[in-house]
Amino acid sequence: MSATRVDALPHAPAHAVGGVRGWLTTVDHKRIGILYGVSSFAFLLIGGLEALIIRAQLAQPNLGLVSAEFYNALFTMHGTTMVFLAIMPLNAAFFNYMVPLMIGARDVAFPRLNALSFWVFLAGGLFLNASFLFRTPPDVGWFGYANLTLRPFTPSPSVDFWNISLQLLGLSSIIAGVNFIATILNMRAPGMTLMRMPLFVWMTLIVQFLVVFAFPPITVGLIFLAFDRFFGTHFYNVAAGGDLHLWQHLFWIFGHPEVYILILPAFGIVSEVIPTFARKPLFGAPVMIYSGILIAFYGFGVWGHHMFAAGMGPVADAAFAIATMLIAIPTGVKIFNWLATLWGGTIRITTAFRFAAGLIGLFTIGGLSGIMHSSPPVDLQQHDTYFVVAHMHYVLIGGSLFGIFAGLHYWWPKMTGRLLDERLGRLYFWVMFVGFNVTFFPQHFLGALGMPRRIYTYSAETGWALWSLVSTIGAFILGVGVALFAVNALRSFRHGTLAPADPWDGRTLEWRTSSPPPPHDFDEIPPVYSRDTFWREKYGDRHGTKPVPRPPQPEAHGIHMPDPSVWPIVAAAGMLAAAFGALLQVALLVAGVAVTVVALFAFALEHHRNPAHADQVGELGVDHRKLAMWVFLGSECFFFGTLIATYLAYKGRSVVGPTPEEILNIPLTTLSTFDLLMSSLLMVLALAAAQRGDRRQTRLWLGGTIVFGVIFLGFQAYEFIEFAHEGLGLRTNLFGSTFFVLTGFHGAHVAVGVTWLATLLVLDLRGKLDVADAPKIEIAGLYWHFVDVVWIAIFTLVYLVP
Amino acid sequence: MLVPAAAVSAGGCAWDGPMSTLIARSDVARDVLDLYALITWASIVIAVVVFGVLGYALLRFRDRPGAPLPPQTQGHPWLEIAWTIGPALILLLIAVPTVQVVFRTQIQAKPPDALEVVVRGHQWWWEFSYPGLDVVTANEFVVPAGRPVYFALEGPDVLHSFWVPKFGGKRDVVPGRRNAITVVPDTPGEYWGQCAEFCGASHANMGFRVVVATPADFDRWLAAQRAPAVDAGAAVAAGKALFAGSACVGCHTVRGVSTGVLGPDLTHFGSRRTLGAGLFPNALEPLAEWVRDAPRLKPGVKMPAFAYTDEQARALAAYLLSLE
Repeated sequence: MSATRVDALPHAPAHAVGGVRGWLTTVDHKRIGILYGVSSFAFLLIGGLEALIIRAQLAQPNLGLVSAEFYNALFTMHGTTMVFLAIMPLNAAFFNYMVPLMIGARDVAFPRLNALSFWVFLAGGLFLNASFLFRTPPDVGWFGYANLTLRPFTPSPSVDFWNISLQLLGLSSIIAGVNFIATILNMRAPGMTLMRMPLFVWMTLIVQFLVVFAFPPITVGLIFLAFDRFFGTHFYNVAAGGDLHLWQHLFWIFGHPEVYILILPAFGIVSEVIPTFARKPLFGAPVMIYSGILIAFYGFGVWGHHMFAAGMGPVADAAFAIATMLIAIPTGVKIFNWLATLWGGTIRITTAFRFAAGLIGLFTIGGLSGIMHSSPPVDLQQHDTYFVVAHMHYVLIGGSLFGIFAGLHYWWPKMTGRLLDERLGRLYFWVMFVGFNVTFFPQHFLGALGMPRRIYTYSAETGWALWSLVSTIGAFILGVGVALFAVNALRSFRHGTLAPADPWDGRTLEWRTSSPPPPHDFDEIPPVYSRDTFWREKYGDRHGTKPVPRPPQPEAHGIHMPDPSVWPIVAAAGMLAAAFGALLQVALLVAGVAVTVVALFAFALEHHRNPAHADQVGELGVDHRKLAMWVFLGSECFFFGTLIATYLAYKGRSVVGPTPEEILNIPLTTLSTFDLLMSSLLMVLALAAAQRGDRRQTRLWLGGTIVFGVIFLGFQAYEFIEFAHEGLGLRTNLFGSTFFVLTGFHGAHVAVGVTWLATLLVLDLRGKLDVADAPKIEIAGLYWHFVDVVWIAIFTLVYLVP
Repeated sequence: MLVPAAAVSAGGCAWDGPMSTLIARSDVARDVLDLYALITWASIVIAVVVFGVLGYALLRFRDRPGAPLPPQTQGHPWLEIAWTIGPALILLLIAVPTVQVVFRTQIQAKPPDALEVVVRGHQWWWEFSYPGLDVVTANEFVVPAGRPVYFALEGPDVLHSFWVPKFGGKRDVVPGRRNAITVVPDTPGEYWGQCAEFCGASHANMGFRVVVATPADFDRWLAAQRAPAVDAGAAVAAGKALFAGSACVGCHTVRGVSTGVLGPDLTHFGSRRTLGAGLFPNALEPLAEWVRDAPRLKPGVKMPAFAYTDEQARALAAYLLSLE
């Protein structure tokens, strides 16, 4: 990336670009963290307002404050907003601001991608809420079960607003996931082994893996929905042989890991806050790490517990029940380890501490109602009732939000240089704690009394009025508490006590630099002696022996910070325009796509105009970009895996039309497969030449790969046209839908690869590549080989297997 | 059963409310309540331990001015093993009966001696039919006590979910799939059910009633349902003429009068307790309002408004109520 030399002075001048433009083009992880924090807090308030209207409507039977249709939109938007626009990005605010500081780095692995993640997130959030302006907010539930979401049942674009914004948000999250994995694995300060990393960083790492693997299934599910709605495919069309369980499986294979994405960062925060204020190390830190990994891993195996009423059969029900109960074990271990950390400590009660301790209690309640849900017979009385609403809010507010508030109060001085008022903090902690419990504890009763979810009203005879009223009162109290926090936050900027670097006598590296940190984070990369390394420096080990201080090691070429870039926000703006265009006007769609493509090219080539840096290789000895590509390919495995699994699940279920046996041309496809395999060979030769510095051969073999790729695409185009002539199109039958979407997306991946290689070839021809750029060819090669391997799987499973 | 009782008393006077899950009136519901009690006890034990330790620690280990750094304990392997195995054992205690009850209550196959009721969930009403018995009705149905009832669930439009809390168990209506649930209701009485899967505008208005009768009363009901529509003669002639001559016949069946199938079967409508799928009591006033402007009363309902005069609406309502 391009570089601005900053002399290693403390408090060196901030940014070359000031004011609003500075914020719009920033690539500084701290500023991006603040951008995430401010926007997500705004969305939290919007989601909270939606909740207050919902609660007001339910306070008494047959209240009629809002129409049924608007109520349905309110709970849809409340859920979608809180999950994707509030909790996830509030977590991201901390990932962005804190993780580089905690690992002793100066920024993330890909600062401009980091900015892109934020602006795409904002585009997604704005697009979702724009649906209100168009008077078609989504009203199908945050989980959007098919087939209610299909055009015959929901003709308005409400579903499309929801679909497209979720895709934007997913894109933002996956990009960030790749970025943070590369950062955490590759950019830790010398001496910081994985086991010495702070727990918050560990939880962040685990969450990023969850993100990159869990989002692709819902990406595919949403693609199927979009194709059904816009192009007449049959993925969720019962009459054509579609299975409505497909959506549920895809959604929950994402949705369950998603809840761990929501809670693990809060757990990480608690694992920082409790030890700091108890003045003791986290009890059993290695086990806390392993349990986090186990929770994430198992989290992929329990999704069926959301579908106990769906009729999966007793074997599946029992299997998912047991798997769900198993997850309770590593989760319970965390609760006990936190308690053991408190035990024998010297506890200083601060606002941050209160929220962390509150999480321990409230999450326990949420976890116990979760155990009830894990038993299908019991769950069937609770599923789709307020009992689940109670459970989920205990874990999402009592868990995630209280954890976030603990983090806000803990890291506020570091981020802003000001302390929040502790007395006001004590007040609104209790207001929030009481308000939260008054709102949600009675909802267990409402659930036990049979109140279903997602109903805009109820009759007086049900007996739900009393607890509904109590719950509503609680909601407004909770709202007051959140508002008081906002007051404290705003006041702190003017009236807050100036914060020292280490106001809490902390244990980790972020406390070792000023509050707020200088733009380059650390004047010198800090030394790392152990877990809780800063505490070790201050107080020594168990015997009080302090480590021998290492002599300062100024960087040989000074501190290089990446330049700001305009392309992330431009690309996101292009995507936003394209999103509107998809619903309004083709011209706008085309313009938006064009702007996005140009911006992405400019983004990629902007990097190229500047000299490469030697520090792109981390402790693992792997180049950042190669590590990122491997992670991305892992994500793509889930993407194509989902497409292929759907093809196989739907095999033989077509009600009409040509069958595979009748129409697939195996000999021809064998040729095209051979062509693609040969292209991989050429790619290998291209990389070898690039690594030798042989420009002529690099260009030759790159060109060859491109030609073979284009030939493959030509074969595919021919095949698609032939099929059309023989009566098989996208919407002909289920086979047409699954076949064309699967092979079409694969072809699109080949096309992207061809474009990428062509760009590299052009750069090479213009003399812009040399032997140091071989990693660029390598990662393009990795992508190319992956697309090839996916084709082998498709060729085998679709064409060859009868 | 102490725990559910404690829970219901904590829940306030509505513990025996019509949708309460804490009242068991079938074999499945009783199994479920027993399992629920077990899990609730286990949860209470765990909660007491966690809150007890948390509360004690917060009080006992407070910072005092001048306090030294506490011992920097890193961990204790045996303790950690203990509190891993402990919860695992508690979970085993829950898992075993869970799996047993699952296999007892989640089987999709029809028992040989069961009465079959086909349930079709529509937006936003319920159709019930008894295959082989020539009975079709809507939003309210009767089953005999003490005999397995096999509910076969189907749907022509979107997902719904069939749920009678006092029978226990809940099963989704999945268009394209045949889901089923079998229960043995054991106590005569009237029970409420409600759709439990969000299905659009009037999801909240998709309730139903099931009456559990003695076998003798059930047979009487079957006989009455099989009979064609009651003709109450001159008193409702005006209403009947209105019905037969207007759009009603396009959507509704009254056996002997009309054959529409888009809306609920009304042949014995007068014998039902509610109107609009549990929305209103089945009486003249609400029914007259309903026939004039159903969309105002039930958002999104497929039945349109009709420009009847007050007199016409009441005549129509009188006729419908006469269809016992």
